[in-house]
Amino acid sequence: MRLFEDEVTLDKELNDFTEKHKKNLGLVSLDVPLISNLDVWVNIALIKQYHENLSADKAQKLVLSYLTRYSLDHISNKRNPDLTNKERFYVMLLRAAMVRNSIVAIDRPFTIIPDVQDDRFIYDALKVVDDSFKECHIFDYLWSKDRYGMIPV
Amino acid sequence: MINAIARIGTTTINVTRTFRDILSFAFTIILKMFNKNSYNSATRQVLIHQIYFTSVQILPLFIGISIIFGTLLMGIVLQIIKNLGLAEHMGRILMDLVVTELAPFVTVLLIALRSSSAINAEIAVMKVNKELNTLDKFNIKAVDYLFLPRVINGILSVVLLSALFSILVLTSGLLFSKLLFGLSLQSYSNVLLSSANFYDIVISLVKCCTFGFFITLIPIRFGLRATNDLTSIPISVLNGMVDVFIAIIFIEVLSLILIFI
Repeated sequence: MRLFEDEVTLDKELNDFTEKHKKNLGLVSLDVPLISNLDVWVNIALIKQYHENLSADKAQKLVLSYLTRYSLDHISNKRNPDLTNKERFYVMLLRAAMVRNSIVAIDRPFTIIPDVQDDRFIYDALKVVDDSFKECHIFDYLWSKDRYGMIPV
Repeated sequence: MINAIARIGTTTINVTRTFRDILSFAFTIILKMFNKNSYNSATRQVLIHQIYFTSVQILPLFIGISIIFGTLLMGIVLQIIKNLGLAEHMGRILMDLVVTELAPFVTVLLIALRSSSAINAEIAVMKVNKELNTLDKFNIKAVDYLFLPRVINGILSVVLLSALFSILVLTSGLLFSKLLFGLSLQSYSNVLLSSANFYDIVISLVKCCTFGFFITLIPIRFGLRATNDLTSIPISVLNGMVDVFIAIIFIEVLSLILIFI
């Protein structure tokens, strides 16, 4: 967990972090949106297909198995604008987890899921796929500290 | 007077910059095209989708236009050939007119109207939505994943649809050659085959490839020029499509010059 006083500092730190871990970075951020003309499963599968040359069939099966963990297999053929905030967060997190030896960085999670009060939802979401990433770092503002009870600050 | 000269100078510089920019981008794409590392499961999937959108979805419209336009045109051309007493040159005239000139031109116009504008808008929207940033953050090269499959699709689509157009129009010519000259299928085929020139087919193929390359490359380049502002999308599409049509005319003129040298 990394908390910052203002937007400028947070953006700078996040930039430095992404540069440092560019090879294994799995970024979850509103600035890194899902590709709107691709289905959910293609958005997630793209990482494995592009970097590991995994066939479309195998990649789709893999993605469906991950979506099933969240009981979200029914959204696999939906597109970004049709998703709820929570669904979008799950999909972004899964996409980030697809990176090999992934270092997941979640940028201001409550801007992606504004209807969520505390970090219980984020904690649960991470727990489900914690076998898929090496590290996870959350970047947020200092004043959001109170919203984080489950995740150690 | 000075202002007018300054305007001419500015326009010349802008045109030269655009030309240089497009050629340099074309060079990058050509290098990527022959690099096997550019191809993977994701790019192949995009290529298949693009071929479906460009060449398969358009088939009913394309076949309809080819048959209607081709039948009428062949009727007129063969009537003129008969009136001018040029029956012995019929095969040569048809091959030159249909295969070398008409087929690539009609095909490229249809694909440019439908697919080039779509590609331009798609890339511009992706730029505005920061989706190109997404690819960058996940170490996915936009050139490999987005641009290369679209350009290859452009080349394949123009070549294949142009061949289809030629086949359909020349087949409809059979009807009129029977009515006007009393030619059988066998004689008509012989006339066409004996008139087919390897050099013409190569020129036609190169022209189709060049058309396909530039009518996808230019919209991509202009799509990338969109800013983060939504209003930049229509401007990018407008400018891109104007340049696509200039490129089509330029390539057509260049190919005519090459043929007549």
